[in-house]
Amino acid sequence: MDFTRIENKRVGEHYFRMKHESGLTVIVYPKKGFNSIYASMGTKFGSIYSKFMFNGKEVTVPDGTAHYLEHKLFESEDGDAFSKYAKTGASANAFTSFDMTCYLFSCTDNFRESLEILIDLMQTPYFTKETVAKEQGIIGQEIKMYDDSPDWRVMMNLFGGLYHNHPINIDIAGSVETIAEITPEILYECYNSYYNLNNMVLTVVGGVDPQEVLDIVNKRIKPSDAVDTRLILPEEPYKVVKSYTEQVMPVAVPLFDIGFKEDSTDKYATNKEQICTSILMNAFVGESSALYRSLLDKGLINSSFGYEYLEGLGYRSLILSGESRDPKAVAEHINEAVIKLHKDGVSREDFENARKVVYGKMLAGFDHKQSIASELISGEFTGRELFSAVDEAAEITLEDVNERLEKQLDADNCCLSVVKGEE
Amino acid sequence: MSDFVRKNICDGVAFGSITDDRFKIGRLSATLITPLDRKTAAANALLSCVLTRSCKKYPDFTALSKKLDSLYGAALYPSVRQIGDYQAVSVAVSGLEDRYALDGQSVSSELAELLCSILFDPNVENGLFNDEDIEQERRQLIENIDAEFNEKRVYAIKRCVDEMCAGEAYSIGRYGSRDEVVALKNEDVYAAWKSLLANARVELTMLGSSDPEKAYRGFESYFSGSPRVISPAEMTVKIPEQVKRITEKEELSQSKLVMGLRSAYFKNDRDCLANSVMSAVLGGTPTSKLFMNVREKESLCYYCVSRVDNNKGVMLIDSGVETENIDRTEESVLRQLELMKKGEITDGELEEAKLAIKNSLLSSLDSLAAMQGFYIGGVLREGQMSPAEAAAAADEVSKERVIELANAVELDTVYALEGNRE
Repeated sequence: MDFTRIENKRVGEHYFRMKHESGLTVIVYPKKGFNSIYASMGTKFGSIYSKFMFNGKEVTVPDGTAHYLEHKLFESEDGDAFSKYAKTGASANAFTSFDMTCYLFSCTDNFRESLEILIDLMQTPYFTKETVAKEQGIIGQEIKMYDDSPDWRVMMNLFGGLYHNHPINIDIAGSVETIAEITPEILYECYNSYYNLNNMVLTVVGGVDPQEVLDIVNKRIKPSDAVDTRLILPEEPYKVVKSYTEQVMPVAVPLFDIGFKEDSTDKYATNKEQICTSILMNAFVGESSALYRSLLDKGLINSSFGYEYLEGLGYRSLILSGESRDPKAVAEHINEAVIKLHKDGVSREDFENARKVVYGKMLAGFDHKQSIASELISGEFTGRELFSAVDEAAEITLEDVNERLEKQLDADNCCLSVVKGEE
Repeated sequence: MSDFVRKNICDGVAFGSITDDRFKIGRLSATLITPLDRKTAAANALLSCVLTRSCKKYPDFTALSKKLDSLYGAALYPSVRQIGDYQAVSVAVSGLEDRYALDGQSVSSELAELLCSILFDPNVENGLFNDEDIEQERRQLIENIDAEFNEKRVYAIKRCVDEMCAGEAYSIGRYGSRDEVVALKNEDVYAAWKSLLANARVELTMLGSSDPEKAYRGFESYFSGSPRVISPAEMTVKIPEQVKRITEKEELSQSKLVMGLRSAYFKNDRDCLANSVMSAVLGGTPTSKLFMNVREKESLCYYCVSRVDNNKGVMLIDSGVETENIDRTEESVLRQLELMKKGEITDGELEEAKLAIKNSLLSSLDSLAAMQGFYIGGVLREGQMSPAEAAAAADEVSKERVIELANAVELDTVYALEGNRE
């Protein structure tokens, strides 16, 4: 079995990809002259996978299970992976997002040993009553840390205001109550359903030789048969739950998230849709836009202002966020501008400007191993190829962007989430 | 990648460059360093924001932003950091390397010109900056300072340092205080500009694949014939006779515990590195004493971390815990420190701390921003090493040295931010 070489002239780089006979997708992205290597192994299983079919049976798990599993996978019968990594000098970590869980390390030496640790930890689940119980206190404190984080709360409250049924409105780590329901059996059930090599990707980026990666994979991977697993998502209406939500927390400057909900679909956004959205938003609220300037001049925003396109299976939202003394005025101002934008469309000049910015930012991402690895993994799960995105960005037209606009930024379907201090 | 090549334009003004063709983005920056002083800290901080808002050539925020957009979304940003008792005000630009431009544009030479315009030819008239620029940036800087309260981990650390180093320049903070920013006059910011360019120590860096010569000449024509020596910062250290204890309350789910300690202070880079190894053994890695005991054995917290600021000799240990566990956590942390002082450090613990530090130092060679941060952070020390030299030096730190440095650590202040929400 061989790697396929994928290259791009604009980026001036290439990578190797293969579907290994074990079922695992392996991607190696050599960065010439780099000292360190960043490896990441991910499974398409995150917090929204709270209800699924596994071998013909419907399974519902407590909130926070995917994240709990991430913590516990670090432990195996012969000790925890952090201690093993400590001996190679690699810096290791893991994270759980809405739709995936990734385990990673970065190293400048002892790559082989570190990659073996990574592959082994993904294949040796070891959950007992005692080890599961021990984590309650640690994760309990992680949950409380997020409870006190205004950035996190303002976003989770927004999802609650946007989504009636979709599990994106459930906190990734769950709550102290829900994680108390987690048992070793539940963790094994999730592991067997989703930590299957056919559902996983290994990416290695940096000063690395593809053959070396393949040798280690061949030696360490235990093949697994494909399983029949399917995510169950509830029906989600188009309309938002409410147009305003707020929480009082000890903050000195209020925070806001304004979310524009879009038609939900069971498909991920394409490269083209994402690029059109980036160009659209850059033209609309980028630093050189008339809207940004007017918000700034009115004293309504500061440099923390930004936007994000959040999308996955069954959810798509454009989110504008920042700090402001008067979040309601920000939202009113933006909504007026949205209505005008739909009437006038994006101008040729703004489009040309924004396209250059988006192109430059995309290329900048290739300087960071972590960003390449994360794009490669999510690209594998969502069907978006990394390099073709750059080519599409160079070739997108104003008409593409204005067509995209028709499906986005519905001023009648948005929610303002605010976190503010005691009045 | 070339080594870091450093040339003096004149006394106190240096231009450093690394020629490196591995990246898509190049970086150019100017850092102006002065002793932290209550009278000037706030004005210097506001100056960095005002300078990056407009200049003579691009006289308002939108014109300047459009220019940056046309350079493929080049970034221009102010930053203010503290290097021990010194304040470092930077203005940096970063942008696409010329060979990636779609239309053959020379982004790098435009960025070098832009940085010179921003520093030397700002939007000033009759000894004043544009009033609107001052007011807009003042408002944002105040919001920035206020927002430090929003993230409680950051806020608790800041409060601990405020209390521990009260009366020392170190506690002035990189922005000065909110009240000082409020009270600033346009004249003060103008004076800060004049004074920093004439008197501050200047570190210019250019990292990337473009020829540094053009940028060098731009800076040279301004700075040559303008030598300067910055006066050493006061470096007072006021150690209390007994441990200071401060407790404050907020509506929070989790309490924050920050312990402020004094460590040995050295000017020499090599000694500083040994101090970093000591801190890493205690609480700098996921197999450190604090992580293994306070988190893994006692399940008290999600994080419990120690870090040392070698430019001051201040060590901070912080954790997020249940309110009823604050005392127990403090005891647990101090027990680990005591064990280190008595020499209870395994070969494995020392080796793992060194490996982690080496990994982090050598990884910085893969990022221009990290390399720039590394050089600027150590620029006031003697015998500054490159990341590779520092990694080699870490290997040589002995257990005896680590024990000796642990014994120099003394608890100064304990700050607790108590939550009372279930």
